Parts: sequence; structure tokens; C-alpha cells
Amino acid sequence: MTSIDGGKAIEIEDLVVRYGERQVLDHLSLCVAAGEVYGLLGGNGAGKSTTLQAILGFIQPSAGRVSVAGLDPASDPAGVRRTIAYIPENVALYEHLTARENVDYFLQLGGLRADRAEMDAAFRAVGLAEEAWSRSVSGFSKGMRQKTAIALALLRRASVLLLDEPTSGLDPGASADFNALVSRLRGEGAAILIVTHDLIGVADIADRIGFLERGRISAEMVAEGPDRFDLRALHDRFSRVRAG
Amino acid sequence: MSVMISVARNALRHLLRSRIALTGVVLVALLTLAAAVTSRAYQADQAGLRDRLQHAADQDFAAQPNRHPHRVVHFGHFAIRPASGLAAMDPGVEAFTGNMIFLEGHRQNSANFGDARQSSLLVRFGQLSPALVLQVIAPLLLVFIGAGMVAGERERGTLRQSLLAGVSGGTLLGGKALALGFAGLIISAPAFGLLLWVGVNGGARASAVALSALGYVAYLAFWTLLIVAVSAMVQRSRTALIALVGAWAFSVVLVPRLAPEVAAGLAPLPTRVETDIAVQRDLRAMGDSHNPNDPYFAAFKQKTLKQYGVSRVEDLPVNYRGLLAIEGEKLTSSLFDRYADQAFGAMAAQGRVMDALAVVSPTIAIRRLSMTLAETDLSAYRRFLEQAEAYRYDLVQRLNRLQATAVTAEDDAAKSKSAAAESRSRISADHWRSMPHFAPDRPSAGEVTGRALPSLIVLLLWLAAGALLAARAGRRLNRSAA
Amino acid sequence: MNALFREARFLLGLKSAVAAILCLFLLSAVAVGAGLVEVARQQATIARIAPQQAADVAAIADWASREKDPGNAAYYTFHATWDPPSDLAFAAIGTRDVSPYVLRVRALGLEAQLYEGEIGNPEAALPGRFDFAFVLVYLAPLFVILLFHDLRSGEREAGRLGALEASAGSPRGLWRARIAVRAAGLFLALAVPFLIGAAVAGTALWKTGSVLLIVLAYLAFWITLSVVVARAKRGSLANAMTLAAAWMTLTLIVPAIGHVVINSAIPLRQGMELGQRQRTAVHRAWDIPKSQTMDAFFRTHPEWKDTAPLTEAFHWKWYFAFHQVGDESAADLARAYRAGVLKRAAWSERLGLVTPGVAAQLALHRLAGADPSAQIAYQDRIRAFHGALRGFYYPYLFRDRPFGRDDFARAPVYQAAPDPGGWPGGLLLGLVGMTALVAAVGAWWSRREGL
Repeated sequence: MTSIDGGKAIEIEDLVVRYGERQVLDHLSLCVAAGEVYGLLGGNGAGKSTTLQAILGFIQPSAGRVSVAGLDPASDPAGVRRTIAYIPENVALYEHLTARENVDYFLQLGGLRADRAEMDAAFRAVGLAEEAWSRSVSGFSKGMRQKTAIALALLRRASVLLLDEPTSGLDPGASADFNALVSRLRGEGAAILIVTHDLIGVADIADRIGFLERGRISAEMVAEGPDRFDLRALHDRFSRVRAG
Repeated sequence: MSVMISVARNALRHLLRSRIALTGVVLVALLTLAAAVTSRAYQADQAGLRDRLQHAADQDFAAQPNRHPHRVVHFGHFAIRPASGLAAMDPGVEAFTGNMIFLEGHRQNSANFGDARQSSLLVRFGQLSPALVLQVIAPLLLVFIGAGMVAGERERGTLRQSLLAGVSGGTLLGGKALALGFAGLIISAPAFGLLLWVGVNGGARASAVALSALGYVAYLAFWTLLIVAVSAMVQRSRTALIALVGAWAFSVVLVPRLAPEVAAGLAPLPTRVETDIAVQRDLRAMGDSHNPNDPYFAAFKQKTLKQYGVSRVEDLPVNYRGLLAIEGEKLTSSLFDRYADQAFGAMAAQGRVMDALAVVSPTIAIRRLSMTLAETDLSAYRRFLEQAEAYRYDLVQRLNRLQATAVTAEDDAAKSKSAAAESRSRISADHWRSMPHFAPDRPSAGEVTGRALPSLIVLLLWLAAGALLAARAGRRLNRSAA
Repeated sequence: MNALFREARFLLGLKSAVAAILCLFLLSAVAVGAGLVEVARQQATIARIAPQQAADVAAIADWASREKDPGNAAYYTFHATWDPPSDLAFAAIGTRDVSPYVLRVRALGLEAQLYEGEIGNPEAALPGRFDFAFVLVYLAPLFVILLFHDLRSGEREAGRLGALEASAGSPRGLWRARIAVRAAGLFLALAVPFLIGAAVAGTALWKTGSVLLIVLAYLAFWITLSVVVARAKRGSLANAMTLAAAWMTLTLIVPAIGHVVINSAIPLRQGMELGQRQRTAVHRAWDIPKSQTMDAFFRTHPEWKDTAPLTEAFHWKWYFAFHQVGDESAADLARAYRAGVLKRAAWSERLGLVTPGVAAQLALHRLAGADPSAQIAYQDRIRAFHGALRGFYYPYLFRDRPFGRDDFARAPVYQAAPDPGGWPGGLLLGLVGMTALVAAVGAWWSRREGL
């Protein structure tokens, strides 16, 4: 993992996104530093996926500024996408290809190549069982798909990871594996943004947690001490957000 | 470029593993092959038959015994339309035109025994030819296998994943178009093979083969780009499929059928019966050869007498009946030409109206291009009719001149009363054997190319429009929420 | 009944379905309109020719009645025949645009006149006409596919299938009502414009009814096929693709292959050979003794045997006799040609028994009297009329009766009768049979799959 100079991998300032009359993001500001895991918590319709779209350059902001690794996704979506690995809730892979072929193909799409040894190392690093490497992905579980996608992120040397609802639908064992993997990536200097409504899951690994409420960050909490977060306070806070 | 090829390879791999698409491609490729083989065999058979019939007609003509030249004018000759080399690729209007004309004096007969008249109604469903497969069926198959190419990936989520992997929308669509275009090439390979074969074996000119191939490639490339663009612009494969099948039905099936209705209303054609009656009426108005006091023929007589410096018809050194026949043929032929020009003028006007509809249907442009290059279009047919008419006129006038010079006026006058005079009025059969044969010449390569050029330009414009649309769809893809 | 009303209201609320039905309605209205215009144009042409023809005959009578030579009259006078469009021709123009519907003949050899072509623009004939038959055979199935391919899969993909079937009293009744309402919409879109056209053209009731029957049977085939395909638990996209492929196969590929196979199995070379044989036979007469021609003629026409013998001088009766003998010498080729055309038509009907599109097309054209057999029937009528012409002129020619101005008016006049059209029972049966077959296969298949 390459780290970002200046520490700020994702910077969002005063971001406003409107769909017609509806204002979805209302002067949203947040930043994620290299080697940091940021948990963005929000209920349905709070603006989580719009925030992701803006970071990925799929929508034009009405006002404000987004910067990813110093690049503006609105003007240089391709550049931004090269530095980001986005792992959606349900990782889409080509069902007619094997895990290896999928990773190879997606690397080629970005103009990259990986030799066999590198690929094996990545698969091993994410904990994908070896028998699955050359198997068609049509039988893959959600967790296996996620691991394939993260293996791809490793090979792409992405410095920014966007994780969209990563732990929903994973069994506890798989969740623990996933958290371990995220911690390792953080240790290697990646900036990681986890967008979720899974309070407990994100509290385990996030360094900071932001509450997204009606298009803006209504509160932010920082992990402190061995207990990291006061779970009760988090829960109260999140209930209020959801009620609102 | 290498990224585009990766995309294309992946799309082709997907196609290969989808049994329906693969079956479709293989079946249509086989259909093209069957069309090429049967069409080629039919055309070869027709060419042989027509050759034989023309030869038989030439022999019949030459085998006439000693005859009065006017008998030969009525015995007449047959002109049979030779088959064109590229007709195997695109039979065009071949089935809807007659192929044999009876050439005789004072009359202009129609070309008869066209295939459409003697075929069942099935001919109206379209004739199986490589042109039909490439113009009509290939685009529909491409629609089937291509409608879901991007929209399907959008539904499955891999589109977003691909875009996030760093590929640009344009490159992605380019790769998909390459894959679809490759499938199109597989489908049409037998037709291109036929084109090449006809070109190499001398049945067609290299320029026509090359332009025809270029036209079909442009046509299929247009469909490829349109399909990929539409697939990228809509949310669901089903929507893409319905929109594209609709576009296909409109521009491939509907517009070409509506075009003649529009054209027929704008430039109506006379019937043959009306033309015949009008020719007779105009002839009577010019001069009545049955009336001894007719002013036109009286003037002609005076002119002739003066030319030969004599005062009586009997003193002419030539047979006056022959001169009259020459003059009469000149009159009737000028009328035939005038009415034929009118009719062809109206048809050309209809053709222009129909061609103008190429702005809403590229199929009209490729059909025009293909027929023109195959020399199976209206203008090739018109050329045949005009050459047959020129040959008829020349033949009849040669015979009339023989009547004027080789048959004495006395024998000619007495032939229907006295057997001896009749026998003397017959001239040697050697004359028939020395008459020229009907040898229609083909339009020059430059002429054909010149006529094909406008439709080729229209096709290239369609291709450019398809490319622009695909480029726009590609740019939108970069920004779309996928 | 309630369910029908509910589904009708539901259909009216679906913008895409209403648009599709309206579109089909518009297309068939345009087609019916175009057909009526074309029929009117043909009728106007026939009407326009009558006075021109009369003037032409009068002009010939002017000079020919001076000499009163029946030979001149018989040689120069053309007699008009015409084939008026039937009361259903507006719906199916068929072969009327590639073969003449007005033809003039004279008492000379018929075989040289009968196959005369019309001044037509072959490029306009090439794509085929835009008439009601086209809309029904080609376009209507596409609309059926559009409305029926996602009947069930659409609801399933929208996640409503379970709730829908649970809320309807009987799922079977629900689907039946839905199918019936959509089918009725399509049927009306085709039938209403056609009925208006039929009223304008004054189509016979039995033909109107038969056309509606064909429309119904053809729609039934495509709807059955669509429902059978849609019953399989596949996506809307796969259904649409399967049905469109079936449409392409049944309306484009099978007829085109059938055409190639039939035409090569029944080659028709007699046409061109016929022309050459007749011509050669006619002109041979000038080079053989006249008695040889007359003997041949008398063998088939003994009634003129006792007329005055020929002398050395030219006599018209010999001239007409050798034309008749010329026709007779090509008679076997003419019969073979005629039989070949009919045989090709018969085989295409056999193809129609297993190809619904072909069946509907041929059935409509049979009813409208616009198929090859109607064309042959017109040629047969011309043949009979030509025989009457010969019968009219021969007494003058053979008995040397003068032919005066009044005699021109005595010539037989062609009695035109529009083709009555035939009941296409076999083809309809084929349509129904194919529908039943598809339904049976569908039922068997769904039982096997346990759907």
C-alpha cells in the first residue's frame, strides 16, 4: 500500500448535491487520512450512497469540493478510480470466469498486469481458500466474492478503500476475518472509508465514526483507549439519528 | 487499445459460453452459407439457360431460309438478358423484371417471363440471398446477442465494477463493439467469401466487389455501434431489446415497404395498354400510311423523288416500299423511345423518392448500393431494355434497307398475287447470317461506381452517426451512476 | 366478467401496452387506407382505358371499313380485357402489382400476347406491398410478442407475482382474463380498420367474416406460442429473444427457404422456350406449302374445311390459320407452364399448412383473388375471350364476308368478372392445427416440468 503525502486521502468540503428540488447532501464535510479507518453511519436516505457516488465521480456536486488523493473526481473520474478500490455490498464478478480470470480481467481494465505469484500472494493474503482460485465464481459465497475484490484491491495497490456495507450478511466468523483484513490494510497505510448502518461491526475497527444525518455529519466520535468507543453512547446517538 | 481488446475478448468469451447466442451465430452463419451456395447455383443455372436460349435464338435467326426481308422483320429476334456476376450476392430486381424480349418490327414488346410472375406468393417474403441475410437477418441477430451486452452488465453490477477498475466508458463500449462486430463478421463470412469468389472468377469487377464489401461492413458496423450504444444508454436489457427490435422493424421492414407506396403516389406510371394506344394515336396524328393522300407521307414521297432526281415512284432506283418501311420504323421508334423515356423518367422519380428515405433507414442505402454494384437494379434493367431496343431498331432498319435495295419494286408489289413474284422477292439467307448478334455491353466500372457513390456516402454518414452515438454513450457511462 | 373489466381497466392504465395497441391500430389503418387507394387507382385505370380503347377501335374502323377487308379489321383491332380488383383486393394486393390487370389482345397468335408484362417499377415491387396482409402477417406477431412475452415474468421480476396470484381469487382466471383482454385489444386494432375498409369496398359478408377468422386464428397461434414460451420460468429477456427468433424463422427464413426449394424443384423454363417455339412455328408457314398449314388447321377446325380453296394470292384466312397452328404447336409448353405455376402455388400452400405466416398470407390472397391461381384464372378468361374473337372473325375471313363499320360494334366484348375468391379451408385448418400443436406441446411440456 502506498500512503498519501499530507495524510488526507479523502477530503470532502461543503459538499452539496441536489437532485432537482431535493437536496441530498447538505454542506457535507469529512476527511479520511492515510492509515485511518473512518466509519460513516447513517440510516436509509441519509445520503450514504450519494456520498460514495460523489467520491467515485459518478455524480457532479452542485457545490463544494471532493478530493481523493489530491485528485478531483468530478473532473478526473478515471484518475480517482485508479487510486480507489470500491468494494460494494454485493461484489459483482463475471460468472463465466474463475476468480483468477476475474482478477486478471479487472486488472487489465485498469491497464495493469499481475503475474501468477503476485496473484497467489494476494489470494493468500485475503484468505481465499486455494481450491477456489481457479474455480468459476458462480458458486462463490458473499464473503468469497468480497475476498476476491480485496485481493484485486491489493494487486491494484489502491491507496483508498471504499467499503459499502461490508459485513451485512456475513456470518460472525467471516466478519472477524474481514475485520482482521481491514486492520492489516490500515497498518499498511491505506485510507479506509466504511459506509454502513452496522453500528457494532464498525465500532470494532473504525478509528473515527461520523453520523450522517439529512445530508450532513451531525456528530463525530473518535476511538479512545482500549475500549475504543462507548458503545452505549454510540447506540443512543445512532438511535436518535435514525429516529430523525 | 490492449484494454479494448481485453474487453472484447471477455465479451466474446461470455458469448461463447452462452449457448443461445452461440447457436444463433452458428445458425445464421449456416444460413448465409446456404444462401450463398443456392443463390450462386441458381444464378449459374440461369446464366447457362439464358446463354443457351440466346444462342438458340441466334441460330433460329440465322437458319431462316431465303425470305422476303419484311418477313424477317416480323420473324424477329429474341434478346435475352445476360445474368450479372454479382447477382448471386444480390439478385436485386431480377425476379421482378422480365428476362426475354421478342424484338420485331413496328412493335416494342415487354420483357417477359420474370420470376415473380411465375413464382408462388412466397417470393413476396423475400428471396433467400446473401444480401437478404446481411441486410435483414444479420442486424436482428446482432440485436439479439448485443442488446444485453452493456445493459446486462449493468443489471448484474459488473458494469460499475469494470468502470471502477479504471476502464473508460469509451474503451469499454469500443471493446464490446469489437466483440459484436466480430460476431457479425462470422455471420457474414460466407457472403464475403462468395463476393471474393465471384470477384476472383471474373464474374464481377474488383471495384464492385470491394465497394460492396465495404458497404456491408459499414452497414453491419453501424448496427453494431447502435446496438452497443443503446445497450449502454438504457437501464435494462429488456428495454434495450425492445427498443432495438423496434428500430430494426422500422428501418428494415417497415420503411422499405412504405417507400414504394409514397413513391407511387408521387409519380404514377402509365399502363402498357395506355402507352400502346397513345403510340397508335400519335402515329395516326403524324401520318396515316394507309391513306394515300396523307400529307406527311405525300411530303415524304416528294422529298424522296427529289432526292433521286426522278418524277415518279416507278422510276426510283430503289424499292419505294422499303423506303416507306424505313420511314415508318423511324416514326414508331421515336414514339417508343419517347414513351419509354417518360415511363423510365417516372420510375427514376420514384427511385429518388425511395432513396431519399435512406435518411430514416440505412437499409435503403445498403440495398441501393448492393443492387447498383451487382448491376441488378432498375438502371441496369433499363440499360438492357434500351440496348435491346437499339438492337431491334438497327436490325429492322438493316432489313428495311435490304427491302429497298435487294427486292425489286415490281416483285414486291406482285408478291401477294403471284407465286413467281413471291419467290423472286425472297433474298438470300446469307443476309440473315451476316446480321450482328445481340451483345449487350455492361456499364463501365466508373459509371457503376459513380452511381453507387451517393448511397455509400449515406451509409458512411450512418456509420458516423452510430459512432457519435456510441461515443456519447461512452462518455455518459463515465458519469452515470452505473 | 368482472375480472375482464378489471383487467381491461388495468391494461388501459399501462402506457406501453396502450401505445402498442394504438400503434398497431394506426399501422393497419394506414395499410387499409393505402390498399383502398391502390384499388381505386386500379379501378380508375380500368375506367380510363375504356374510352381510349373505343377511340382506338373507331380510328381503325375509319380506314378499315373503306376496304371492308375482314383481315385488316382482325389484324389491326386490339380488344381490351381487364381484371378488376375484387372487393377484398384492398387488403391483399398480392400479384396484382407484378402482373398486368389490363391486357389487349387481337385475333393473332395468343401465346405471343398472353404473357406480356406491365410497365412496373421493379424496385417498387421488390420489397413487397404495405397492405393489410403485410401488417397482419409480419407486424402483428411482433406486437403479440411485445404484449405477451413478460405476461408472467414481468410480474415475477417486479416481485409482484406471488402477491398477485395470492390476491386473485383464482390465478388461472387472472391469467385468462389478462390474456383475453390483451388479445381483444390486438384483435380490435386489426379488425376495426379492416371492417371500415371492407365497408368502403363493399366486401362480401362471407369474405369479411373469413378475414376476421384468419386474423383470429393467426393471432391465436402467436398468442399461444407466446403464452407457452412465457410459461417457462425464464426471464422476460429470454422470452422476448425466443419469440423474436421464432418470428424471424417463421416469417422470414422458412418462407425464403421454401421459395428456393419450390422454385428449384419445379423449374419453369417453358416460358421462354414457349415464346421461341411459337414464333418459329408461326413463321415456318411462309416457307412451306400453304396446303400443309391449312391441313393442320382443318384437323382442329373441320368446320372451315369446305370453304373456298386457297389460290396463289395472299389470303388472310391462311395468315390467321398459321397463327392458330402456331399456338397449337406450342400448346403442350403452354399447358406445362400453366401447370408449373399452379404446382408452385400448390406446394407453397402445403408449406402453409405448417407455417402460420405463409398460411395467413396465402389464405388472405386466396380470398382476395390476388394469388397466382387468380392470375392464371385471368389468363384462362383471356384465352376464352381470344377463342371468341377468333370465332367472331373466322366467318368473315373464311367466307369472304365484307367487314363494315357496323361489324366493329358486333365484336365480342370482354366480360370482366373480379375473381370470386376461394374459401381457404385447408390453410385455415393448417393455422388451427399449428396452434393446437403448439398448445399441446406447451401443455405436455409444462406437465413434465411440473409448472
